Amino acid sequence: MKTAILIAIIVLADATGDVFLTRGMKQVGEISTINPRALFRVGGKVITNKNFLSGIFFITITFVSFLIVLSWADLSLVFPTKSLVYVFSTLGAKFVLGETVTLQRWMGIFLVCVGVGLTSLP
Amino acid sequence: MTSATKGTSLKKTLFVLIPAIFAQAGGNVFVSTSMKEVGNSSWFLLLPRAIESPTLWLGTVLLAVSFILFASALSWADLSFVVPAVSAEVILNVVFASYFLHEVVSLTRWTGVLLISMGVVLVLRSERQKALRSEDIFRKEGL
Repeated sequence: MKTAILIAIIVLADATGDVFLTRGMKQVGEISTINPRALFRVGGKVITNKNFLSGIFFITITFVSFLIVLSWADLSLVFPTKSLVYVFSTLGAKFVLGETVTLQRWMGIFLVCVGVGLTSLP
Repeated sequence: MTSATKGTSLKKTLFVLIPAIFAQAGGNVFVSTSMKEVGNSSWFLLLPRAIESPTLWLGTVLLAVSFILFASALSWADLSFVVPAVSAEVILNVVFASYFLHEVVSLTRWTGVLLISMGVVLVLRSERQKALRSEDIFRKEGL
């Protein structure tokens, strides 16, 4: 049960962090230069971007929870079940962002769900 | 793209992605080892104790290396190379967990892991098709 709660935290924080990071990087814009001065300016824009910083915050929660759960749970359980993040990002894409989700993707998350069920059987 | 440049980019991609998945799975093995060592500590002592372990740092550095390799591969490689790598990562982690950490992986769990890795391929492939479609739209609109 403790393991399930921590995996849920990992997955939710990971999906949330991804949304913020993506939004942050899109606001900063495409990096199309290798000019050091320009890169430095882009870097400054990135580390002061609120969405980017929120993303880093959630990714940190993900990593710390991952470490904590590994102090007792098997890696062969925790790592595969982390793939549930795809299920949540699909649901987020559909119900929060209103994107259309392809049949192929629904089939994918169905397989992930069945797989996680089997993986976590005692 | 000519076949020659395609060949170079394939080599370059494999050269980056194979180390990336090995660094990832290896990093997780080190991180898991160090966390199991401090596993008896009370909850709030876990992280302060773990931070003192060189194994944790080694694992974290490997994970960071893997992240950088993946991110750089994504900047030039077609997702069709990266997708199988992400999916193989799931399997490689379980292989490493069973071999290096001596975790007992039941047949049921192996079946589950295979289904997950297939599911990940389907999810990420649909992402790729979406990306290709939007590229088409940009091309049509002359952007």
